Amino acid sequence: MPRLTPENVRRAKEIISRYPRPRSALIPLLHLAQEQDGWLTEDAMEDVAELVGVTPAQVIGTASFYEMFKMEPVGRYVINVCTNISCLLLGGETLLQHAEATLGIKPGSTTEDGLFTLEDVECVAACTEAPCLQVNYRYFYRVTNDDFDRILADLRDGDLSRDIPEHGILSRVPQRIPTGKVANITPPEDQRVPVWIERAAPDKAAAGGDEA
Amino acid sequence: MSEAPADIEITDPVTITLDGRQVVVQRGALLIDACERNGVYIPRFCYHPRMRPVGMCRMCLVEVDTGRGASLQPSCMLQCSSDMVVDTQSDKTRKAQEGVLEFLLLNHPLDCPVCDRGGECPLQDQTVGYGPGETRFVDEKRHYEKPIAISRTVLLDRERCILCDRCTRFAKEVAGDPLIDFQDRGSRTQVNTFPNQPFASYFSGNTVQICPVGALTAEPYRFKARPWDLEIVESSCTTCSVGCRVTIQSSRNQVLRCLGVDSDPVNWGWLCDKGRYGVEALNAEGRLGVPLGRGRSVKTDDETALEEVSWAGALRTAADAITSALDRRGPEGVAVIGGARLTNEAQYAWVKLLKGVIGTDNLDAQLGDGIPAEIVLGLPLATIDDACRPGSTTVVVSGDPKEELPILYLRLRHAAVQDGVNLIEIGPKAGGLTPYATVAMHPLPGELADLVRAVVGGGAGGAVAGVDPASIERARSLLADTDGEMTLVVGRRSLSEDTGFTADAVSVLVSAYDKVRILPALRRANVLGALTMGMAPGVLPGRVALAAAPDAYSTRWPALPAGRGLDTTGILTAAAEGRIDTLILLGADPLTDFPDRDLAERALAGARNVIAVDQFVNDSVRLAEVVLPAAGFAECAGTTTNIEGRILKLEQSTTPPGTARPDWMIAAELAAELGSDLGLDSVEQIWKEIAELSPSHVDLTWEMLSDPQNRDGLVARGDPLPGSVRFEAPEPTAHRALDSYSLRLVATRKLYDEGTMVGRCRSCAGLAEETALAMNPHDFERLGVEDGGRVTVSSKRGSTVIEARGEAGVPRNSVALVVNAPNFDVGTLIDANDAVNEVRVEALQSVAGETGSEGGS
Amino acid sequence: MGYLDGFRVTFKKLFEQRVTQQYPAEKQEKPVRLHGRHVLNRYEDGMEKCIGCELCAGVCPAKCIYVRGKDNPVDDPVSPGERYGFVYEINYLRCIHCDLCVEACPTEAITESKLFEFSFTNRYDAIYTRDELLVDGDGRPRQLPWEDWREGEDEWTSGWMRATSPSGDVAFENTVAWSGELGHGIRPPEQGQRADGGGE
Repeated sequence: MPRLTPENVRRAKEIISRYPRPRSALIPLLHLAQEQDGWLTEDAMEDVAELVGVTPAQVIGTASFYEMFKMEPVGRYVINVCTNISCLLLGGETLLQHAEATLGIKPGSTTEDGLFTLEDVECVAACTEAPCLQVNYRYFYRVTNDDFDRILADLRDGDLSRDIPEHGILSRVPQRIPTGKVANITPPEDQRVPVWIERAAPDKAAAGGDEA
Repeated sequence: MSEAPADIEITDPVTITLDGRQVVVQRGALLIDACERNGVYIPRFCYHPRMRPVGMCRMCLVEVDTGRGASLQPSCMLQCSSDMVVDTQSDKTRKAQEGVLEFLLLNHPLDCPVCDRGGECPLQDQTVGYGPGETRFVDEKRHYEKPIAISRTVLLDRERCILCDRCTRFAKEVAGDPLIDFQDRGSRTQVNTFPNQPFASYFSGNTVQICPVGALTAEPYRFKARPWDLEIVESSCTTCSVGCRVTIQSSRNQVLRCLGVDSDPVNWGWLCDKGRYGVEALNAEGRLGVPLGRGRSVKTDDETALEEVSWAGALRTAADAITSALDRRGPEGVAVIGGARLTNEAQYAWVKLLKGVIGTDNLDAQLGDGIPAEIVLGLPLATIDDACRPGSTTVVVSGDPKEELPILYLRLRHAAVQDGVNLIEIGPKAGGLTPYATVAMHPLPGELADLVRAVVGGGAGGAVAGVDPASIERARSLLADTDGEMTLVVGRRSLSEDTGFTADAVSVLVSAYDKVRILPALRRANVLGALTMGMAPGVLPGRVALAAAPDAYSTRWPALPAGRGLDTTGILTAAAEGRIDTLILLGADPLTDFPDRDLAERALAGARNVIAVDQFVNDSVRLAEVVLPAAGFAECAGTTTNIEGRILKLEQSTTPPGTARPDWMIAAELAAELGSDLGLDSVEQIWKEIAELSPSHVDLTWEMLSDPQNRDGLVARGDPLPGSVRFEAPEPTAHRALDSYSLRLVATRKLYDEGTMVGRCRSCAGLAEETALAMNPHDFERLGVEDGGRVTVSSKRGSTVIEARGEAGVPRNSVALVVNAPNFDVGTLIDANDAVNEVRVEALQSVAGETGSEGGS
Repeated sequence: MGYLDGFRVTFKKLFEQRVTQQYPAEKQEKPVRLHGRHVLNRYEDGMEKCIGCELCAGVCPAKCIYVRGKDNPVDDPVSPGERYGFVYEINYLRCIHCDLCVEACPTEAITESKLFEFSFTNRYDAIYTRDELLVDGDGRPRQLPWEDWREGEDEWTSGWMRATSPSGDVAFENTVAWSGELGHGIRPPEQGQRADGGGE
């Protein structure tokens, strides 16, 4: 089982340095681990625990809350078909059935070639464009069965590889935060004024770049 | 099991209306506690008075009006404020309670008949008391695999869990081992460990005790009995010397489990797993129920097997051995080691037999692994509460309390984390307290006193004993901030280091700060009782110095020793040289417990006769001429003394196996066999004699000790009195300067080792970890050693091949081994007469020449 | 003359219906709710019903029952679930046949047969062990040498009724169900206990 690579450990330490407490970096580091392996391996979680100074049990306790952290291996592309109310009314269920038939798998499982994992999801906030689906969290709107087949073919042929990296990669461009641009490095217990008041201070109103 | 809140003194009163009556409560106290103190019990699951409230279970909802109209609020999250109107009986409250219980029972399986908690289950009780009676839920409940083992002793049944957060909060907040946590949060939340990382906490058993349902059960007690067929007595744990209050629960004359009792000055309801499951050893195979002997022959070869003999025969043999020793060499020919296992009364009886009848002073309850008795008896004692007083500073000069006195560790940890106590840890290497200590210093063996002098005196500002100047400076300023009042937790730092260094350090601290009190961190069960009762050379019961024995002793005792005798090292040396004729092992296994294995072996071979009083046949007992079976914990009544000098009652729960007898009775019988009458015929009467004779127990009557009001025990007088043993500053202990080839040896203890009791306790046996040679990673390169590589470690006594492991908390230029580990006995490396034991370490595979040439970094 | 009165009574009885029975050659029919010697029942698949919960021992006013539970062996379970009755002993020198154990049993494992004629001759025989109490593979009780079983009596082993309804409600009026049982114990469920003929 892979641990974090030395390069990723270096990136992890850089991420940790952005926060007042190492454990605050837990979620970004889990994203880093998922980016490396496509899912969260036990070894990677142990690595992350060591890096942020908590126990592995606390890491898995946090990670297992989030649907987007995968505790088991998933395919290169995770396809989320929305079956919530708007999509349902406009054919989301049919689309899911079509997807099941096309891929030959049930939601929650992965095709044998390891390419696709199918999931049904609750509302992904694209009701105006129903029915919709996501491939590795990239949206496709008003998807018909034919559209679905085309998306699958494109994914297989690599035509979409420029837009959709493999599962785990949130962004191909790593976030770079210039030194000194770190948001609110004050440890929580030393924080006297609420964060938003400090932010609204006239000198630097634009505190952007803190969105992970 | 009581989880009632402690009584408090109301310093800031507010009046609230509780169910229509006006009551005065402490402002800011939690409403749930305030109500309980006023006789109104509010049902709850997640709230525990020793942990922070979380408001997870919603069971304690009550209707409260704080001036904004009545509304349901969780009473465990609400602080009392003035003019609160609380209604715990309103329709709304009742409806909320019924609703919460109905929801909790949606997924809770009704397998109460097979559940170990059934009959003592808060969920069961409160469902009967506050529940709706019927459920409207008809669907399938949530299912998980039935119990999964989350550690060797704890089983988790996730179906039964009601997610109250008690176990996880305990693990994180109290024990500091957050190895269990909520996972899959949401509709399928469960408590679990990380895969393949068991909940290996020394305190895991407490989670079973505080679980309000049967989700966590103890493997050792699994299906052993039901609550209604248990006979319960309250007693004190004697696994170590903290003196935790416990209930001993037995059925059919067999002790089945121990649960912690919330004793405010001591254990707060917590127990360590070794204490909790240690009672298993009582019923273990090999437990002695009949005396063993080798007939009437003088000591023969080991091949003569021990066989069962009669009590009369065994006592005759023992008495003959003592008589012949007296004839040949006088009282000095008899020596006794051990006795810390005994009750205070048994210790008094044995001391009276040995010092008052036989007249020998060669008696030591510590097996060369403690600290000089003068430190404990000659300085004022502190209580655990003193050491944990909020805002104070406590200096810890001992081994790792987590490994030796786990509940003291919990208290100190709590004090440091929650109450702002500054801990200055001066340990042999980084240990359990290190993360919580304000300053943690780990001086090189032999340089403890130098470090303490630097801290106290101030000085050049360089590193001392391998400790960086910043830490020394920080410790100095912390100590300067105290008003002189300070608790000094002092124990044996390392078995391979002379206690002279500790005594020296203590004397430096005592003379520098005027109000230092000592909390002895000695681990053997009743070692403080033993020392107070005179089980050390030069001491008589009541901390009295033999040299200044008052008349009371010479009038009440037939004889007194002529002069100061030998301690364990002295006794063993004398025995090895053939100067001890009869060596009595009073629950002692010197081969395993004495730091110097070679000396112990020579001593047992050199003594003409060895008499053992024990519960099991261990390595040392196997060499005895005659073995007298003794009653164990829970099998005899009496009192014990904890590290604070607190006298705690021990109650009898079951009968001893076979014809095993309480130790005091054996002493009395042996005296009778020697033609003398100790005049002791009951525990109560022995205590009466102690209270009459001993200056430190003078006001403590048996009636007071038996009073239920005093179930937390009564602290005996801990201040030195006129005539007490005096602690005098020792001459600094000399040792060799460090050369570039040798490393200094640190030998520390682990909670689970290969000791007599641990090995026989089914749940603890096998938990002892193998020791590796721990060394500072900085020393690797110099020695040509790799992390995980095998090395030869050799002292002048012996050598072995063992794995080396990097551990940043080990001082540089030293190596650390664990005492009594299953794979290696560090005693084979130690010479007890060396102030500092040195070893050499060579990598097994590397070329010796390279190792040498790289040295000197 | 008075003694002739006595003969008159004797003479009159010669022509009356006899009430004396030739016990033990003949036996009276036993009441359906008679409390006799206990049996430990099995489910239809042969699994033991007893789960070793000790509720019977807890409720027993004579303290004559000794039970100890144990983990069911994973590969060869004795009873359904986690736990089974590993030790089960009833001391018949103490038992008062009150049937509270039957009431308490959550799995209907222990019931009473109609057998009351068992005269052991030593104290060890008086303590019935689990093996002696358990019904055999056909659901019939084991017949011990000192017990007087007659033809067909071993059919009457299952408990006849439980006074309490499933939810403990005394006003409960419905079918009191009886779980499936091996062999001869199965009875039609007893009806509710109304005075106007709700009973069977």
